[in-house]
Amino acid sequence: MRGMRATLFAPALFFILVLLPGPAGSEQFISSGEIQRCLGCHAKPGISIAFKNKETQAAFVDPGKFKGSAHGSMACSSCHADFAAGEHPARTFKSKDQYRIKSALVCRRCHTDEQIKKGSVHAELLEEEQQGKAMVCTNCHGSHSIARISGKGALASEEQYCMRCHERRTTLRFKNGESRAIKVDIVLLKTSVHGKLDCSDCHFGFSSDEHPQRNFRTSRDFTLASSESCRRCHFDKYTKTLEGIHYAILSQGQMNAPVCIDCHGSHEIARVGKERTASARRCQRCHSKEYDTYAKSVHGNALFNEHNQDVPVCADCHTAHTILDPFSLDYRERIPEMCSKCHAKKEIVGKYGLSTDVVKTYLSDFHGVTLGLYKMQRGENYKPGKPIAVCTDCHGRHNITSTVGPNATIVKKNLLKRCQKCHADANEHFPDTWLSHYEPSLTRAPLVFIAGIVFKIFIPIMIIGLVLQILLHIWRYAINR
Amino acid sequence: MKDTYRRFSAARIIEHLVQIVTFCVLVATGLSQKFYSSDISVWFILKLGGIDNARIIHRGAGLLFSLAAVVHIVAAIYGTIVRKWQPSMIITKNDFRSAVHNIKYYLGIENLPSMSGKYNYTQKFEYWGILTGGLMMMGTGAVLWQPVFFTRFMTGELVPLAKVLHSEEALVVLLIIAGWHIYNSIFSPEVFPLNVSIFTGYIPRERMVREHLHELARIEGRTPEEIRAQMQKDAIREREAESEEARRRD
Repeated sequence: MRGMRATLFAPALFFILVLLPGPAGSEQFISSGEIQRCLGCHAKPGISIAFKNKETQAAFVDPGKFKGSAHGSMACSSCHADFAAGEHPARTFKSKDQYRIKSALVCRRCHTDEQIKKGSVHAELLEEEQQGKAMVCTNCHGSHSIARISGKGALASEEQYCMRCHERRTTLRFKNGESRAIKVDIVLLKTSVHGKLDCSDCHFGFSSDEHPQRNFRTSRDFTLASSESCRRCHFDKYTKTLEGIHYAILSQGQMNAPVCIDCHGSHEIARVGKERTASARRCQRCHSKEYDTYAKSVHGNALFNEHNQDVPVCADCHTAHTILDPFSLDYRERIPEMCSKCHAKKEIVGKYGLSTDVVKTYLSDFHGVTLGLYKMQRGENYKPGKPIAVCTDCHGRHNITSTVGPNATIVKKNLLKRCQKCHADANEHFPDTWLSHYEPSLTRAPLVFIAGIVFKIFIPIMIIGLVLQILLHIWRYAINR
Repeated sequence: MKDTYRRFSAARIIEHLVQIVTFCVLVATGLSQKFYSSDISVWFILKLGGIDNARIIHRGAGLLFSLAAVVHIVAAIYGTIVRKWQPSMIITKNDFRSAVHNIKYYLGIENLPSMSGKYNYTQKFEYWGILTGGLMMMGTGAVLWQPVFFTRFMTGELVPLAKVLHSEEALVVLLIIAGWHIYNSIFSPEVFPLNVSIFTGYIPRERMVREHLHELARIEGRTPEEIRAQMQKDAIREREAESEEARRRD
């Protein structure tokens, strides 16, 4: 229970500091008698304060840091009002916390509430203070080493510097009256794919030296502007999005069209591709109807109920960045290709008892051949063709059902309706003109199968006969001569 | 005794020209659809301005081909029944005998090739091959062109059947034409570089003797043996004349 204890060696210190040639510039912080007097004791490492609860706190002041601080030109008593060169009142404090809270109130004498409210982080703190939680300026700003806001702090890294404020909930206010609370969770940030980056790698223009004031009309404007940072590294992805429908509708003024951070998040950014369920859910935020339909389909059902990782999620067909208008002819013509990514691969669909012939049979039939040539025509000499039936026309888009089991009859039944969309007068025989992806065999389309076999036998025999006839004729002619 | 004989009427010549043109167009546009994935097919289809154009051209040529075929059949039936044309294209037992005979001749068992009427057995087989093949192409082609219409009267499976028949029969017809007809009328050493009678309508008598002896005999009112004997006599006289000439020069 002792008050502030100070060991006075002032004359000795004075001698050392003033009369001995010290390190360069050592004389400049002997600016006033008061400082000189105080530092006589407080510049000694090891000097400390003890509190009632036995806690202690260093009372050491680094003369160099103090001089270089924002308050470097002020006298000690400017803050420590009760103290002066000759006065050192004894005070007692319950605990370190109590001492710190009390000391920090000194700051508020100059830095008024109105002034500090302007910085968004302080507004938040002031609110907390009204709810009974003390705001201790020195916790963040330090005491004697206090730094200018724009100056390089005493902190080891940029991240520490930024996080002093941004680990708390700060509020961004926008011109239209919107506000948005922002809090950076350092743990999420560190475990994200950007864990090794510095803040200013993304927040271009910001650093421990600079914190430009920016004005956004709306919260959405802020998001759109923030997303622009991503392209500095991910330029390939960025250019892909320029071809996509999201960018197209964005440039038409649909401000809600998603940009990078809408799907990827900002500080908690993760690799989207890995978690397929999460990837689908991102799309759900805007496309909930399609998502619900998909969830009930054979693919969605397997994903959500069986955690099957083979089935496609949204991005597998629509792609992640070059998301094309799904109603465009261009997209339509790519559909067989998309389905082939799995349905032409035995190692993927084989285990579910599905045949890879489905792609081959489609591509070699009328529709498939026409589509293939249309695609080439569009490349060479642009000729817009008619829309040609592709996989999704018969099997559905998001509501793809299984073609085995009880659903098979439904698929077959819907086929006629689908045919009639293009072949208006088609009757119930018409869907049978398509062999439902089966290769002809004795049980499936036996007539087609037999006709094929007959020709396969007949044509080689005919070729042999013709060649023999010709050779024999030439041979006899040669002999006659 | 004339040097040349009339073999084909103007109608037949025009008919043949129409068939050449339509056949070539059908083969080019059809084969490129059958072998749609080969580079040359793709090149050709794109040159035509796309698959839709290729199909339109193919169907147009098919219609013309069919029209010519129908006219031909109607004319042939009318001609033989009303005009009493001799049914020279009808295949008889003799044609099979000629085929066997000719093969023996090629193998050196017979000394002389088989004798024939206006058309020999290869020409007859070729004709009927093309005619029946053509009819099949017309029928199956129509089904492929208008599947919606035809499935009103028949089951759906017949459409893929028509596709197989159309595309395979096309190969058969092509082989008959390219393998046999083109050989016999262009590359065969007996007619090379070209048997022109289908374009001019005339055939020299000496070829009549060699290829269509029975027909010549019928026209000249003699027996084939008389004509052959006459030919041999002529040949001997010619050879003697030649040797006489040679002796005189010595």
